[in-house]
Amino acid sequence: MIRFTLNGETVETDLAPDTPLLWAVRDEFGLKGSKFGCGAGLCGACTMHVDGEAARTCILPIAAVNGREITTIEGLGTPDAPHPLQEAWVAHSVPQCGYCQSGQIMSAAAFLATNASPTEADVEAAMAGNICRCGCYPRIKEAILASAEALATDAMAEETRA
Amino acid sequence: MSAANLSRRAFLRGTVMAGGGLVVGFLLPGCSEPGLPVARLDGDWVPNAFLQFTPDGVVRFFCPRSEMGQGVTTGLTTLVAEELDFAPDRMQIELASAHPDYVNPDFGVQATGGSSAMKAHWLPLRQVGADTRMLLLQAASAQTGASPAELSTDDGFVLHGTHRIPYVDLLETAAGMPMPSESPLKPASDFRWIGKDASRLDSLPKATGTAVYGIDVDVPGMHHAVVLRSPVFGGTVSSLDAAPALAVDGVTDVLEIDTGVAVVATSYWQARKGAQALSVQWQGGASADVSSASVRADYEFAAEDDGNEAHAEGDFRAAFAAASDTLEATWWAPYLAHAPMEPMNAVAHVRADAAEVWAGTQGPGPTQGLVARHADLEPEQVTVHQTWLGGGFGRRGTIRYVAEATQISKATGKPVKVLWSREDDLRAGLYRPASLMRIRAGLDADGRISAWEAKRIGGNITPDTLENVLPAVLPGAPEGVIDAAVGLADKAMRDWVVDNASIEGFHEDYDLPNFSVRHVTRDHGIPLTFWRSVGHSYTAFAKETAMDELAERAGQDPVAFRVAHLRGNPRLRNVVEVAGREMATMGKAAGRHLGLAAHGSFFTDVAEVAEVSVENGRIRVHEVLCVVDCGTAVNPDVIRAQMEGAVMFGLTAALDGEIEIEDGAVKQSNFHDYPILRMTEAPKVRVVIINSSDAPTGVGEPGLPPIAPAVANAVYRATGQRLRAMPLAKALLA
Repeated sequence: MIRFTLNGETVETDLAPDTPLLWAVRDEFGLKGSKFGCGAGLCGACTMHVDGEAARTCILPIAAVNGREITTIEGLGTPDAPHPLQEAWVAHSVPQCGYCQSGQIMSAAAFLATNASPTEADVEAAMAGNICRCGCYPRIKEAILASAEALATDAMAEETRA
Repeated sequence: MSAANLSRRAFLRGTVMAGGGLVVGFLLPGCSEPGLPVARLDGDWVPNAFLQFTPDGVVRFFCPRSEMGQGVTTGLTTLVAEELDFAPDRMQIELASAHPDYVNPDFGVQATGGSSAMKAHWLPLRQVGADTRMLLLQAASAQTGASPAELSTDDGFVLHGTHRIPYVDLLETAAGMPMPSESPLKPASDFRWIGKDASRLDSLPKATGTAVYGIDVDVPGMHHAVVLRSPVFGGTVSSLDAAPALAVDGVTDVLEIDTGVAVVATSYWQARKGAQALSVQWQGGASADVSSASVRADYEFAAEDDGNEAHAEGDFRAAFAAASDTLEATWWAPYLAHAPMEPMNAVAHVRADAAEVWAGTQGPGPTQGLVARHADLEPEQVTVHQTWLGGGFGRRGTIRYVAEATQISKATGKPVKVLWSREDDLRAGLYRPASLMRIRAGLDADGRISAWEAKRIGGNITPDTLENVLPAVLPGAPEGVIDAAVGLADKAMRDWVVDNASIEGFHEDYDLPNFSVRHVTRDHGIPLTFWRSVGHSYTAFAKETAMDELAERAGQDPVAFRVAHLRGNPRLRNVVEVAGREMATMGKAAGRHLGLAAHGSFFTDVAEVAEVSVENGRIRVHEVLCVVDCGTAVNPDVIRAQMEGAVMFGLTAALDGEIEIEDGAVKQSNFHDYPILRMTEAPKVRVVIINSSDAPTGVGEPGLPPIAPAVANAVYRATGQRLRAMPLAKALLA
């Protein structure tokens, strides 16, 4: 039995320990927002957070996440209460086919948590592991930079209030 | 979770999250308006196949075209909303199921492709909105006693003096009245939403992981299938030992289907493990002895053949012989895969008297027919649930993955999801054909093109398309008839006529007094299909790099040379002139070089300027200017996004894209050896949209053809090397 936290809730599964986290989350726990793109950790469509860090879950066996904290796109925000990055994605009309965007947003969220005021080059380097076949890169970059700015403004406002 | 657990209203609404799982609810058959594919509940008004008004004020638009990222749901919603006078962002979008009312007016089939949607639906969908609005006005007139002339509308309300009647209050009256026809359409000056930048309507579900793609569909009792296919195209099973696969936990069935051997299990991962355990040997296949080198050698051998003439005017031979200066060269474009981010997949549930299929395809109509054929049912017994497409680019027009799911479900009696791996996608796909191209051109003493011959050597797309589409659009036709029709088309295109998809884009743009477009068909058994911009994806490369070479020989500036040959094509001429003016402000930094290319495709004209540097043998594209004339810009931001995306897609192909064949099989397997452009390599893209009041034309594909020649022309300025083969990164080092 493997047990981990999924979007804040403790879950357990008796799936084979070599089952990739992606398939456990999609097929066992029914959260379909994280996508299968390559099965080899090459495209980033399956990106989730494992203890806050972006991870390619199509090649991450569930045996490796026992006791750890997993966040998926569903845990980041919802249509009714979107994360600032998701709001930025909408404001910049980022998605085309949209299939890679969960992974893009999860990579971006983990990155912004470590770098609150990134340069363009920082964003490019951080996002180089996520492929978008529709070529939404200019808008993904804009949305991340705008979101970082908004988060920084919010943080400043927080500080002022405190 | 069964449908009965959900309220009918909730069931109609599309996607429902329940019990930690995701259930996809779709329109219930059996309660629809007579002749209409839209389910109607008490109090609903369903005036036609495209619109549904509910008593709680919801207005639903059933989008007849497939959304694969090109923005068609946003664009077509805007058309109907404009004339209905109801804000597009308050409409609910449904992806239409299979029904004759949803056929593409350009094709007569319910399919999406050829950058056709906006052009084909521009008038018909506005007419639907206008007629429906007119009926609401007539209903308001009946309810209030006011004459129609005293009434107007404003975003969901009929106005009568100071009184505002919401559309929802008119449904009952409207439902009893006949639909008017040919109601007047708004003049462009009255457009409220058409022509304005507006956010895409599908961004929020796609940014929150709640948009349902085919891969996300779960149905009760669903099993998962993985299919092993012959690595050589057309190969068959020579020996099969199912026992090791059946011994894998969760595997329930192993069976042979048309395309290979299917392993069925209770989860995808178990099916994948079962497939790894399976022992299967293959034999034969149409491409058995083929390699990329043998294909190229054969094309070069065939390049001297006259082939068939597709288009001609004047006397090329005489003009070429009399030319003051000539250019003669050959160009190469390799096989390419589409590699959409969502691998091919479909869910099918075949029962004795009906079947359901859930899939993202470029053709819900053909999907219905193909399922009927493989399930031994009539098309009317097949319900098609269309999902969002995780990329299409032409690939999802060929739907063998739907046939696979149908065959497996029929044989096992289970609802089955077939899911391809990335390796399956790259190795068992259909490809943009490899092409060898030869251009011979002559300049007269004034530096004008006096002779132009463009010849392409390669396989044809249309016979393969027929092989895949005929079984779907003629589900009752016996295999023998299909084979005969495909064989006839193949022979005809080899011997007598030219497949236009093979040579489109070679001669249409410029003033050419004496020209000949020729084709030599050479087929090597590699499955071929439409790939974003089709023939234009390679003809533009040859044509536009040749234009730069000719400009240089004529001692003219590349912009001025093109403009001088565009007297008969004022729209593209204007696009080139605008690009030329913008170009003058670009490329100022040290080490940066500019290249321009222009091309018309799918009724849209595009010119692109690439700002390029070549550093350590690697081509780097820093910025791309894209000037586009696509008639009325229905949603300028969607057009910009399509141009940006086409530049990236085209750059991936131009710089690195290559599917190689070895021993009859595809060598590439995943994104490490079929690399896709990443953000670190993505240029800035600046889009200029020409202001136009012409009817709109497509934008999904036309941004692609100019990028490869624009980059190659810039590389020439950087290095002095004329790159005439793609991928350019490889050609640069050759």
